[in-house]
Amino acid sequence: MSTNISSDLIWEITRGHSSTLVKRKGAGGVQFSRDPLNLKNKYTRKYEGFVNDKAIGIRTGENGGVVLMTKKADKAHKPASSLQTSTFGSSTSTRKTYRSIANSTAKRSYRPDLRADAVARASAIRKSQKPVKADRPTKARGAKAKKEAEA
Amino acid sequence: MTSRPTVSILSADGSAGSSTHPLPEVFKAPIRPDIVQTVHTGMAKNKRQPYAVSEKAGHQTSAESWGTGRAVARIPRVSGGGTHRAGQAAFGNQCRSGRMFAPTKVWRKWHQKINLGQKRFATASALAASSSAALLMARGHHISSVPEVPLVVASTAFADAAIAKTSAALALLKAVGAGADIEKVKNSRKLRAGKGKLRGRRHKQRRGPLVVYNPEEDGKELVRAFRNIPGVETSSVYALNLLQLAPGGHLGRFIVWTSSAFAALDKIYGSTTEPSALKKDFLLPSALMKQPDLSKLINSSEVQTVLRPVRGGSVTKRTLTQKKNPLKNKQVQLRLNPYAAAFSKEKLGQLKVDNGKPASTGETFIKLVHEN
Repeated sequence: MSTNISSDLIWEITRGHSSTLVKRKGAGGVQFSRDPLNLKNKYTRKYEGFVNDKAIGIRTGENGGVVLMTKKADKAHKPASSLQTSTFGSSTSTRKTYRSIANSTAKRSYRPDLRADAVARASAIRKSQKPVKADRPTKARGAKAKKEAEA
Repeated sequence: MTSRPTVSILSADGSAGSSTHPLPEVFKAPIRPDIVQTVHTGMAKNKRQPYAVSEKAGHQTSAESWGTGRAVARIPRVSGGGTHRAGQAAFGNQCRSGRMFAPTKVWRKWHQKINLGQKRFATASALAASSSAALLMARGHHISSVPEVPLVVASTAFADAAIAKTSAALALLKAVGAGADIEKVKNSRKLRAGKGKLRGRRHKQRRGPLVVYNPEEDGKELVRAFRNIPGVETSSVYALNLLQLAPGGHLGRFIVWTSSAFAALDKIYGSTTEPSALKKDFLLPSALMKQPDLSKLINSSEVQTVLRPVRGGSVTKRTLTQKKNPLKNKQVQLRLNPYAAAFSKEKLGQLKVDNGKPASTGETFIKLVHEN
């Protein structure tokens, strides 16, 4: 809103403590983020959604598929109307989904640095939505096991 | 964009009316988490009550040391006999039933003096931070349904004690989009860990919105209406407290302003040039940097014009690359030996050394050799 607050200042204030920051002592003190607008869930200046004027978020849709969220840069002080969402249903092919995501963001010079990460996240979500294949029944091996299987 | 950005004033049902108010100057104060934190730690200490162990604790015995030569330590020992206590060590901090080390005293320095200028700076800073939606979210407020930050509600909604009942207060907060934050507070209520449970601090819960009102115009009935909503606090705009504006020393409290309180801010804090009407000798602190956006600074024409042009153009020297073998890598070879191109083009390397048979040495030579 006012001109005295910039993304750089917000990051300097919140880099040590924030509601989205998840610090763990394991694995060399990793820092993750709970921000829905964080594509890699890493608490960094580049990926953290609330810090940047423009940010991309991708989450699972209600009925499968993915939802793309982007921040409107000029509505930073209007939280209720600051998010632009578009839904890609599960019937939309994955290639088309990734293409649309890239076309609506990186191609229009809206955070071109996040293109690969956005597509990767959408891809991971779509992959997780695939039905899990049941394991093949194991073949009995060896004379003893075959005998047991027959019995 | 106008020189002074405006904030729209919401009506009681949460819809943005046509009325707006220019952003008070205090919201342009520099945001200094370091000052807010030090002032907060000082202020948080000023509500403490003295405590200490009893003056007599551990000294209610007539113990005397036995001195040397009894093959026991020289610590004072309880005199007498006929009880187990006799002969036990006393007084020392290492002794059972002894006094503690450096017994606590009621005359400890409980309170901190904080310079008034610093306190005012911290308050202005915390207010400015409350106008940033990002900082509110970083503090943990749920504001995704809030139409605008700072959130200003028309004072007409509070007029004639309209908000005297908690149900009315709750309905108002929900209408202006603060419902999610109150819901968060309600769900956060947990039993406190440790002894605090026995000392009147049984539960822990998050903080919700802070309702700031102007007692002269909004009345004080709303205080009672809001006070039973979990997490919600009320404060008069004339008595803003840093402990409420930046709980825990963390910037970005979600504040719900009444429009009269919002309008009073310019009178209370003045500006960087206009002294405050209510605070003696107070000018708002001004920012050291007019432009806090670093990328804008770097890319500004003022900076870019005085920079020397990039050397080497788009080609940058790579350091620490793997050394290539010029005998195997054509490009590296060409760099070292420009003749190599012509050499390979003419296929000089593949040419046979074809000089025909050597000419015979002649008959006279052979005759000479064979002469005996």
